Amino acid sequence: MTQLPTNRMEAWRWTDLAALEAARATVRGGVPAIEGLWIEGDGPRLVFRDGEFQLDLSTPGEVSIEPIAPVTAHPLGSATAGTGWRLTLDAERAVTGIQIVHVATGNENHLPGLIELGRDAVASVVETFVGNGWTNRLTTIRLAEGARLMRSVRLLQASGFVSLREEAEIGQAASLASVFLGAGGASSRVDGELVVAGDGGFAEMGGALLTRGEQRQECAVTVRHAALDGASRQIWRAVAADRSAVSLAARVDVARGAQKTDGEQSLRGLLLHRTATVNLKPELEIFADDVKCAHGATVGELDRQALFYLQSRGLPEGPAKAMLTRAFVADAIDRIGEDAVREAFAADAEAWLSEAL
Amino acid sequence: MLQIDNLHAEIDGKPILKGLSLAVNAGEVHAIMGPNGAGKSTLGYVLGGRAAYEVTGGTVALDCADLLEMDAHERAAAGLFLGFQYPVEIPGVSNLQFLREALNSQRRARGQEPLSGAEFLKLARAQAAALGMDAEMLKRPVNVGFSGGEKKRNEMVQMGILNPRLAVLDETDSGLDIDALRIVGDGINRIMRAPDKAVVLITHYQRLLDYVRPDFVHVLADGRIIRSGGPELAHELEREGYGAIAA
Repeated sequence: MTQLPTNRMEAWRWTDLAALEAARATVRGGVPAIEGLWIEGDGPRLVFRDGEFQLDLSTPGEVSIEPIAPVTAHPLGSATAGTGWRLTLDAERAVTGIQIVHVATGNENHLPGLIELGRDAVASVVETFVGNGWTNRLTTIRLAEGARLMRSVRLLQASGFVSLREEAEIGQAASLASVFLGAGGASSRVDGELVVAGDGGFAEMGGALLTRGEQRQECAVTVRHAALDGASRQIWRAVAADRSAVSLAARVDVARGAQKTDGEQSLRGLLLHRTATVNLKPELEIFADDVKCAHGATVGELDRQALFYLQSRGLPEGPAKAMLTRAFVADAIDRIGEDAVREAFAADAEAWLSEAL
Repeated sequence: MLQIDNLHAEIDGKPILKGLSLAVNAGEVHAIMGPNGAGKSTLGYVLGGRAAYEVTGGTVALDCADLLEMDAHERAAAGLFLGFQYPVEIPGVSNLQFLREALNSQRRARGQEPLSGAEFLKLARAQAAALGMDAEMLKRPVNVGFSGGEKKRNEMVQMGILNPRLAVLDETDSGLDIDALRIVGDGINRIMRAPDKAVVLITHYQRLLDYVRPDFVHVLADGRIIRSGGPELAHELEREGYGAIAA
């Protein structure tokens, strides 16, 4: 049994642990359909049901299934030790369009993932979460010199709780660009620690978390700059309707020697109803004296002037609100470089908007 | 076409319109002139259906339908177009996407088939070209980074695409240089000068009226129309100022 953190711990104060406990107590049941979740492309496809690899539904290609012993002190991440998925690419290899679908049917499931890219290797991975129950993941990422990883993750579980932990080490001139979309009915925690360990490395972790009803989603991300000339982006958008809550905690640490670091942190929340909550916790800790760290944190409602402008041209209130909210969320989703992936994520956000508004 | 009777409206409890009456028939252009604070923009917003303005008395009928009962988007579908004095910037929403959804919402409300992407693009390009707007600007976010003149021109492009029956244009001439004024004036004439259409031009100055010849000129002061006349009234106002007329 995993020892869970509590809301008394500062790093977990906003986490919907009650939803996690409730999800964990559910009984495994129906299996949701996944056919519509695949994004066009001929890359490797993997399906995990309740954390177990489904060979008959998968074409894993370069991704292997094997025991993984994660090195982490993270309270939830450490619970994932066991058989997981691994993508290891040698220098200069490229495998793009990898898609992983995680189907949960209830209760709890845990799964580790490992991505190791050799020098100048390139990969892109899309992960999709559907179903019910508590889904817990740890993904460990190691990028060698010049390697590039694009990662897009969408949380579409209808109910329950999804906890993701990302731990990345980014080598010299390597790049990690990751975007997360929370557009399902489950509560969630997207938790990450990215270390820019080599000079000129780039780390990006951002996304959009959309909540309604009583749902609570959060991100808790730290980027540590430990080398020269690094850059990082944390662009998060929160949209909260009804009595739901989104919490965005993002932190940038710049170590003493990490001169010329270029960090950007943008946390913005949109309240669709006055009963909703958005918590923002931007943090910067800078020990170098020649760095640029832009940061902004704002929470507001839809611009009434803009809303009237759209309505005066013939758009009913719901579609007008959706159009403005879509534009707000696009700041985060438009960071996805691959057209088909970006369009699929935008469609998921759109589906959420049409139901919520 | 438009019948306003004894209209009273307020914002934040402060009365602005105090018994305004106006009748506009199809085929007519009416200019409403008046000093700052007379209630000109409020009239535009009240006709457009902005929620912050509360109508406390009177009636407004558009083609015999009660305009005040309609939401803003229903007024648009009924054929009303409100040209904004300060068009709003909307980051992240492209002109094309916005106008296509707006036009098709109107068409659906009127029981017409929505336009396809290709049909709409053809219409939008033609309207932009007629107003001398680069078609590339249609792809840009609504009014973001546009100059004052470009925003007003964009209002006219929108009017051309939406093709309303009644246009209420609030200081469409402000912020325009002489060339842009002529283009916008020509646009209003081209789009709206028709036997089944009408225009209410809200303006501070006479100069737009050199391009769009009004059939009637009204002076709005302290929330009411205090004088009405033909085009010569605009020249009289320009010559003698609002003070002399209002006194």
